Amino acid sequence: MRTLSIVIVAVAAMCACSVEASAQSAAAQAAGQGQKPPAKIPDLSVNWIAGGGRTTFNDYQFTEEGEKRFKAYDFKVDDPAYKCIGASWTRIWLNPNVVVELRQTKDEIRMRYEWMDITRIIPLVDPLAANPRRNNVKGHPALGSSAAWYDGDTLVIDTIDFAPGYITTMVERAGIPQSRRMHTVERLHRDGDVLTIETTHFDPANYRTPVISTIKYQKTDWEIMKYGCTPEEASVVAPR
Amino acid sequence: MANMKLRTCVILVVLATGGQLSAHHSVPVNFDQSKEVSIEGVLTEIKWVNPHAHFRIDVKQPDGSVLEWLVEMGATNTMKRAGFPMDRFMVGEKYTIIGPPGRRDRAVLLDEVVMPDGTHLTPTMRPRTPGVRDQNGG
Repeated sequence: MRTLSIVIVAVAAMCACSVEASAQSAAAQAAGQGQKPPAKIPDLSVNWIAGGGRTTFNDYQFTEEGEKRFKAYDFKVDDPAYKCIGASWTRIWLNPNVVVELRQTKDEIRMRYEWMDITRIIPLVDPLAANPRRNNVKGHPALGSSAAWYDGDTLVIDTIDFAPGYITTMVERAGIPQSRRMHTVERLHRDGDVLTIETTHFDPANYRTPVISTIKYQKTDWEIMKYGCTPEEASVVAPR
Repeated sequence: MANMKLRTCVILVVLATGGQLSAHHSVPVNFDQSKEVSIEGVLTEIKWVNPHAHFRIDVKQPDGSVLEWLVEMGATNTMKRAGFPMDRFMVGEKYTIIGPPGRRDRAVLLDEVVMPDGTHLTPTMRPRTPGVRDQNGG
């Protein structure tokens, strides 16, 4: 009789655990945690680092205002990196040797950029919705407000509401401007272990034609590291 | 006298080739990549930070005076991944820094460093090919 009681208690405890585990699993699924994306969409959920091919820019054409702003750019003081601020998504993708951690869930895209410790959480939306939900990156007004969706095997990120700034601060294109009118579309496509990021900047205030950058990343086993940029240290190397 | 000048701590070498441009945002505009300097001095400050690690180094002049140089590097994270031995750098020790001079006075981008024991190191921990610059950007 005593043995039977022990068995009954053990079975009851197992059932309770099973119910609790099922409830936790359902809650986790509802929150989109640990879910694998549906089979048709691309699996981009790995860590990436710049490489795997050449970076290219198209031949864009400035408006008069755009050319004026480009010529006025002073790398000694105008580079937002001296204040630990990301100038634009093209500028961020252009940075070499830093890891980008990309994770997909049912409801959103989570991207952690090692450069400047930028975390980008982008809601997945219906591209035909009138006013889709968007997210911005706190402290980085020049990065706008983004929403995302899948176009077949390509992840599309649509961004508006930019503060004025610079599309890039790198080498010969340092200081090409962006205005509040800019609208940016990033298309991320994976081919094997290479991720191609094609970014199109539509900014009629500064350009007569879109600015298109194509940047390649490759899958990496490196883990993301803290960047810890401070304006005091970053500005030490600013030219005087 | 001419020889003494040559033996000063700073040697300018005009590179025969322009080499591969780094993708770093500020290298071509901040440093003259057509030249190379070599400076020897005592390390006075070490900053392992991002986006640019940097040293300050006191360089003794032929007349006995000391001038401070800023030594710029790429991102500390990049150098960590390359296995750059940061713990081997000590304030007070003497190092030789080789790289393109800054467009401002007394600044240099570290392409190679000669350690007190004579070891040569690069930020990527790969041997350096003169005239070819590795990406070591921030």
